[in-house]
Amino acid sequence: MIGGLFIYNHKGEVLISRVYRDDIGSQAADSAVFSSSGPFLRERLGGSVRRNAVDAFRVNVIHARQQVRSPVTNIARTSFFHVKRSNIWLAAVTKQNVNAAMVFEFLYKMCDVMAAYFGKISEENIKNNFVLIYELLDEILDFGYPQNSETGALKTFITQQGIKSQTKEEQSQITSQVTGQIGWRREGIKYRRNELFLDVLESVNLLMSPQGQVLSAHVSGRVVMKSYLSGMPECKFGMNDKIVIEKQGKGTADETSKSGKQSIAIDDCTFHQCVRLSKFDSERSISFIPPDGEFELMRYRTTKDIILPFRVIPLVREVGRTKLEVKVVIKSNFKPSLLAQKIEVRIPTPLNTSGVQVICMKGKAKYKASENAIVWKIKRMAGMKESQISAEIELLPTNDKKKWARPPISMNFEVPFAPSGLKVRYLKVFEPKLNYSDHDVIKWVRYIGRSGIYETRC
Amino acid sequence: MPYLGSEDVVKELKKALCNPHIQADRLRYRNVIQRVIRYMTQGLDMSGVFMEMVKASATVDIVQKKLVYLYMCTYAPLKPDLALLAINTLCKDCSDPNPMVRGLALRSMCSLRMPGVQEYIQQPILNGLRDKASYVRRVAVLGCAKMHNLHGDSEVDGALVNELYSLLRDQDPIVVVNCLRSLEEILKQEGGIVINKPIAHHLLNRMSKLDQWGQAEVLNFLLRYQPRSEEELFDILNLLDSFLKSGSPGVVMGATKLFLILAKKFPHVQTDVLVRVKGPLLAACSSESRELCFVALCHVRQILHSLPGHFSSHYKKFFCSYSEPHYIKLQKVEVLCELVNDENVQQVLEELRGYCTDVSADFAQAAIFAIGSIARTYTDQCVQILTELLGLRQEHITTVVVQTFRDLVWLCPQCTEAVCQALPGCEENIQDSEGKQALIWLLGVHGERIPNAPYVLEDFVENVKSETFPAVKMELLTALLRLFLSRPAECQDMLGRLLYYCIEEEKDMAVRDRGLFYYRLLLVGIDEVKRILCSPKSDPTLGLLEDPAERPVNSWASDFNTLVPVYGKSRWATISKCHGAERCGPELPKTSSFAASGPLIPEENKERVQEVPDSGTLMLVPNLQLTADYFEKTWLSLKVAHQQVLPWQGEFHPDTLQMALQVVNIQTIAMSRAGARPWKAYLSAQDDTGCLFLTELLWKPENSEMQISVKQNETRTETLKSFISVLETVIGTIEEIKS
Repeated sequence: MIGGLFIYNHKGEVLISRVYRDDIGSQAADSAVFSSSGPFLRERLGGSVRRNAVDAFRVNVIHARQQVRSPVTNIARTSFFHVKRSNIWLAAVTKQNVNAAMVFEFLYKMCDVMAAYFGKISEENIKNNFVLIYELLDEILDFGYPQNSETGALKTFITQQGIKSQTKEEQSQITSQVTGQIGWRREGIKYRRNELFLDVLESVNLLMSPQGQVLSAHVSGRVVMKSYLSGMPECKFGMNDKIVIEKQGKGTADETSKSGKQSIAIDDCTFHQCVRLSKFDSERSISFIPPDGEFELMRYRTTKDIILPFRVIPLVREVGRTKLEVKVVIKSNFKPSLLAQKIEVRIPTPLNTSGVQVICMKGKAKYKASENAIVWKIKRMAGMKESQISAEIELLPTNDKKKWARPPISMNFEVPFAPSGLKVRYLKVFEPKLNYSDHDVIKWVRYIGRSGIYETRC
Repeated sequence: MPYLGSEDVVKELKKALCNPHIQADRLRYRNVIQRVIRYMTQGLDMSGVFMEMVKASATVDIVQKKLVYLYMCTYAPLKPDLALLAINTLCKDCSDPNPMVRGLALRSMCSLRMPGVQEYIQQPILNGLRDKASYVRRVAVLGCAKMHNLHGDSEVDGALVNELYSLLRDQDPIVVVNCLRSLEEILKQEGGIVINKPIAHHLLNRMSKLDQWGQAEVLNFLLRYQPRSEEELFDILNLLDSFLKSGSPGVVMGATKLFLILAKKFPHVQTDVLVRVKGPLLAACSSESRELCFVALCHVRQILHSLPGHFSSHYKKFFCSYSEPHYIKLQKVEVLCELVNDENVQQVLEELRGYCTDVSADFAQAAIFAIGSIARTYTDQCVQILTELLGLRQEHITTVVVQTFRDLVWLCPQCTEAVCQALPGCEENIQDSEGKQALIWLLGVHGERIPNAPYVLEDFVENVKSETFPAVKMELLTALLRLFLSRPAECQDMLGRLLYYCIEEEKDMAVRDRGLFYYRLLLVGIDEVKRILCSPKSDPTLGLLEDPAERPVNSWASDFNTLVPVYGKSRWATISKCHGAERCGPELPKTSSFAASGPLIPEENKERVQEVPDSGTLMLVPNLQLTADYFEKTWLSLKVAHQQVLPWQGEFHPDTLQMALQVVNIQTIAMSRAGARPWKAYLSAQDDTGCLFLTELLWKPENSEMQISVKQNETRTETLKSFISVLETVIGTIEEIKS
């Protein structure tokens, strides 16, 4: 159970504070903040004892000199769980021995919900929407216990935006939604055009040794669905999961040989609450009644047969004590017809760099002294191409004996395919009660592969 | 932040709230109220406008209502009499046709933390429990818990509890979970809600309908259910199987814990479960949500303690990436040194070596310590890497490497030769106290193998005046004296100088005393010095003892998925102990310095006893009343069950001993006067099963030992063992305090 929830800006000023339980705060009173101020000041603060917990966190974590040691901090026997989004700190506070994973999941959920209402979580957005946030906090947590947290379902309870009092129809909707068995979808949704969007979003992570050996690589992917469907549709989702393909292919031998290469092995996957897990376990079919609007259908991870969209080949040569020659070749490794976008290669330079000359075949490269790196940007690059950059780095002679640690070369990009090899085979929609069929639904599928942590050591 | 000086703002807002023009314009009115809330958030005291805010609550605008209720919940404890005025409006809202308004009003009413509100909220809560909208029922159910909290120590309302128990069958999943939470809080005094078979099975069947928070909560409650038969147990496990693969890591961990606890008698099931959650845990460890990743890593370490080989094949998953935050890197390094085996040791060491030159000194040092701990098993490779690191001539690296060497030489004497060869030259790169101490210790103990040891120490002696750390000076004294024993010709002169300095010029008392002590020791004769200073130079068994040799899963299963793995067991113990101390308050005896540290003893001991299987914990009964006559009779009728001799040097104080024994519930029946020799004492204790322990302590100063004889009225070897270990701990502690 969560005792209280606070949101701070980067200076440590409290933007939002919501206390659910009295037990937090009072015992933090003797913490570092007030040890010096004495009872007089405490009185002047309007008796709001619980502010002490708020201040304790600011002093001990946000303003702490050394690097943050752990996302869970114990101050005066109170645990502070914090996450940071851009320069905003969200902290959940409790005195109990709680499940740490659950609290963090809750904070993530809170961020998601807020993002769904007002976009990016920034100081300005939070200040502008603070009434809405208080409303949300009221609905999501009661007495410190998480209640309803689905964005779709929450929409009916949150009144922010619009002053209009509710019509009769809306009122009955709440009652039906609130008593209905399916918590994530309300009844009586109608659309003139039945449409659904399916996004396969993957982030590919790589750690490669200087010799080109893959130290670790994995893809973590999400299938995000945006559905605008009428009624209570039953959906069935199919992909090229190895286990399913093999099961189906048993009958026809030639099909297995054909599809053997195209199927992928999923290490583990998790689903949105709406997916019937029993059916997945027995038949490995994914069927569900989707929530209205956007939601994350599944999340998965693969580690085998990953298509690494780019290969980085670094070559660093030290010429004497004051010069460094760097050559980096990148090779794109996918179909020539596809285009990768927003490519950015970041080559770290030593701290004592005095000047850099860069020559690159494609794109633009710049030495950014403040970031200690050469940043090479390419707008677009087709598959099976190669490009290279060479740089001469002048170094200031120093008597610092410390060797340069050579941070890895990191890369960012976006490609229009799924690096795991995942393919959507079908998404069928059945709505027996209303008169539209699977064919009438307009479906859009999109694949986006992004770089996660994509590093090559040099 | 504007903490102080809120008077002007309050005055201005008050005026605005009273202005009829603003009141008429809904948007402007709401804007003013928003400003009040904003100042409240910033920490300004806004209780001055309470009256005006109460008036503002009588509105049809639901947004405004919410804002005002939020305000009232914050300031009601400060203005209880004014808050009563608001109750009227709230009560009216509780019967509004709109379920949302009903729920909101009820929730706000229950959250008004002020005395005397109970009588007003009781009826609305009862109505709310039977409301047809589940939204209101959810609020009402938690309202019961809030009401109980307000009462504090009042009696539990039986009718209400029954009502809540019946609501466990409610249609709405959140109502069900809230019922569990509420009952748990209300029945806290009686040990929480009771999960019997029907309830457990009902919950199990509803599991799939709950959201992730509910699932995690129910899994937690199911921990206290004891299946009647093996068959039922496995049925439950089958039912819960899918939750091990849930989308939410919190649920996965909750399910894992439940499996581990329910299957505590089936080790193979436990192992199987841990194998199956490997995937989800690894996924969490490499997830982009860093905080979750951190929590998962903490739990991986916990599992590794019991199953060292568990994640060995996935070692690459724990390689650090450059951009990861500090706390994750440190955890990963810890994990890496736990999962090393013959196959991956090369790669892991290679990787760790890379971290040693990291920009962050903290992280680099953590990596070096990690190599040091791997060195206990793979000595040669690690010593080689560490030696190479010395070549970098970096201060922060050298100091840690030398510290690692010191610990290593003590545990693995076979690497002494290699370490001795690596040491020359590193004194130039050590500036801090810890590193200097380690280097000086090594030079003193193994000086005969390091050719230039006397010259290095000579430099230290030369600069002793400017040395800032007393600990370094102490270490230097000991080391030089040791080296003097093995290489007298080279050291005699400087030892003289050092002793002279320490005795005549040094200002730190401890150092001066140590100097004087060695001086007098030297006067006694060189043989005596040798006898006292030349202790063993290594102790390989220490490493084995320290090693967490195969801790069974059951020893940590109950801590899984709590904060214990995150903070670490010892840290959590101090945190939760403070909780306990708070509750006990000032009753704890704090008469002497020993009594304050006293409570540690029985706890340490309890832990040790728990590790012995089937021993049953030893609980000694406090305030045992035994007459001397009865003691004598029993003593004479019984045979000695255990006899043992403990070393005991020098004087001792019977009072301290008596006090210490009392802390662990051992009573003193009779004892000799202080200073009598031989000195005797008779002790008695009884455990909770009625087993009596009678003890005789006999101290003979001439051979400096203490003889302990224990008699027992029932022959039970396990409890006898634990009793003796308690006794030993107490006597050992006193011996320590004395020295």
